[in-house]
Amino acid sequence: MLEIKDLHVAVDGKEILKGLSLSIEPGQVHAIMGPNGSGKSTLSYVLAGRAGYDITSGSITYNGEDLAALAPEERAAQGVFLAMQYPVEIPGVTTLTFLKTALNAQRRARGEKELDAMSVLKLVRGKAANLRVTEEMLKRALNVGFSGGEKKRLEILQMALFEPRLAILDETDSGLDIDALKLVAEGVNTLRSPERAMLVITHYQRLLDYIVPDRIHVLAKGKIVAEGGKELAHELEAKGYEHIVGKAA
Amino acid sequence: MNAPATWLDERRAEAANRFAALGVPHRRIEDWKYSDLKTAIEGANDDAAASWSVGTLPEGVELFDLSHANAPAWVQKHFGTLPQNAMASASFAHARTGFALRVSRDKAPGSLAVDFAAAGSARALIVLEEDASLTLCETNKASGFSNLGVEIVIGANAQLTHIRHAPRTDAVQVEEYAVRVARDGTYRAHLFNGGAKLSRAEFQIALAGENAQAHLSGVSVLGNGAHADVTTHVIHAVGHTQSTQLFKKVAGGKSRGVYQGRITVEQGADKSDSRQTAKALLMGTRAEADLKPELEIFADDVKCAHGAAVGDLDPNSLFYLRARGIPEAEARNMLVRAFLEEAVDEIADETIRATIWEAVEDALPKAMQP
Repeated sequence: MLEIKDLHVAVDGKEILKGLSLSIEPGQVHAIMGPNGSGKSTLSYVLAGRAGYDITSGSITYNGEDLAALAPEERAAQGVFLAMQYPVEIPGVTTLTFLKTALNAQRRARGEKELDAMSVLKLVRGKAANLRVTEEMLKRALNVGFSGGEKKRLEILQMALFEPRLAILDETDSGLDIDALKLVAEGVNTLRSPERAMLVITHYQRLLDYIVPDRIHVLAKGKIVAEGGKELAHELEAKGYEHIVGKAA
Repeated sequence: MNAPATWLDERRAEAANRFAALGVPHRRIEDWKYSDLKTAIEGANDDAAASWSVGTLPEGVELFDLSHANAPAWVQKHFGTLPQNAMASASFAHARTGFALRVSRDKAPGSLAVDFAAAGSARALIVLEEDASLTLCETNKASGFSNLGVEIVIGANAQLTHIRHAPRTDAVQVEEYAVRVARDGTYRAHLFNGGAKLSRAEFQIALAGENAQAHLSGVSVLGNGAHADVTTHVIHAVGHTQSTQLFKKVAGGKSRGVYQGRITVEQGADKSDSRQTAKALLMGTRAEADLKPELEIFADDVKCAHGAAVGDLDPNSLFYLRARGIPEAEARNMLVRAFLEEAVDEIADETIRATIWEAVEDALPKAMQP
C-alpha cells in the first residue's frame, strides 16, 4: 500500500530525512520510534503533503501512485489521514461544521454523493460516544479551548469518520495521561482492519503497549537504523535509543 | 418670513471660522496620514446638497427636516453643540439639508432606516431622551464627494444601536460622527465597509456619565482599488465607563484598510475599562492595512487592553483543513469567513446580522483576490 524508497527530505535547505525506506501492507500496523530530532514529524508531514518539506530524492508510492504529486486535499480524499501531534485551533469554525465540510469535500473528490447535515450528525454521534466527544465539544469552535486529551480524541474521531486507508498517527500519546491514552488507543484499535494500514509514530514505548504494532522501525538521524517485531519496543525502553542507534552506526 | 434663526447663524459662523482655520485635511496631518482627502477631492463641488431619506418612523420617534425654519426647542438645544473637527465644521457651516430625530422615553424599541445619497453636505441630529432606545440602520450610498455630519445625543439609560452599511463605491465619502453618552446609556455601532475611492468614517464618542458604554465593531471587505478608513476616538470622561472595539479588515488587490483608534481616559475617570482589537488580513500583494491603536491615560485605576495584527492566513490552519480533504480555495474561504464572523457576530439582531453578512459575502470574492 505504501512504499517509501530511499527518501531524502530537506526543510529550509537542511536535509532531515537521509535515505528512509519503508513498506507497509494493508492490515498492518507499523510503528516508527525514534529520539527527538530523528525526523519523525518530518516523515508524517511529508506523507500528508505539508508545504516546505522538499523531497530531494527517493520516492513515495501509495497504491501504485506517486504520492508526492498530490495536493494535501487529494491525499486525504484518497484515504491518507494524519492525526496531528498539535491539532490546530480554528476560532470561528464550529467542530461539527468542519467535520461536515471535510467529509463532504472528500466524498465529492471521490465522486460520491454528499451527505446532508442530519446524516453527518447521525454519523458523528454514532462514533463520538465511544471517544467521549460530547455534543458540547461538537458545537464549539474547532479545538478552541479543548484540553490536550480532547484534541487527540477529536483527531481519532476524524479518523473514524473519514475511514482512511492509511492512517498516520504522529505522537498521538504526547500530553496524555494514562486514562486518556487508553481511551485513544481503544479508539485506534477498533479502527484496525484488513483494508487499513497504520503508521504509529511515537517517542515512547508506552503507546505501543496499547496499540500493538506488527513491526517497529527505529528512526535516527533521518534513517531507519533498526527494525523488528513488537519486542523491539521493550528492548528500546530497557536499553535506550543510544544503545540501538550506537550499535547501528 | 420667519425671523432669522440667530442661534443657528451663530453656530454656523463659528463652524465656518473653525473650518477656515483648519482647512481641508491632507496627508501631512497625522490623523489623515492614510487618507489624502485634499488630493481626492480636487475640483469637487462642495456646495452641493446630499440627499437623505428616513423610513417609517416607529412609535415615539419624531422627525424634523433641518432645511425648515422654526426648529423645535430640542433641536435648538442640541444641534451643533457636540465637538466638531475640520470636516464636521465644514458640513455644519455649509449644509442646508438634513434631518433631526428625537426618540422619546419609555417607548418600545423600534428600528429606523436612514439613507444618504447624492453628492454634497448634509447634517443629522439624533437625540435619545432618557430611557429611550432605537436601532438606526444607516446606508451610505452618497456619490461624488459627500461630507456628512452626524450628532448623536444619548440620554441617561438610553440605548442606540447604529448599523452603518457602506457598500462599495467609487465616491469620496467623509462621515463624521460626534456621540455623547450620558450615565447608564449605551451606544453600539456596527459597521460594514465595502470601500470607496476614499472613505472616512470618524467617530468621536464621549462617555460622559457613569456606566456609559460604547461598543463598536466593524468589518471592511476591500477589493482592488478600495479604501476604507475607520477612525475612532473614545473619551472616558468619567469613571466606571466601558468601551469595546473590534475591527476586522480583509484587503485584496491594491486596497487600503485603515483603523485609527484613540482612547482617552481622562483624569479621575477611574475604573474605566476599555478594550480595542483591530486585525487585518492582506490577501492582495499590493494591499495595505494601517492599524493604529493609541492610548492616552490620565487616570490611575483603569483597565485598557489593545491589540493590532496584520497578516496572512495562518499556514498551520490552512494545512490542517487541506489535510482533512478541504480544497485550498475552500479552506481559505472558511478561514476568512471565520475571521470576519467574529466581528459580525457582535450584531445582536439576527435579521440585521444576516443582512450585513450578505454584504460581506457579496464583497468577499473581490477582497480575496491577489
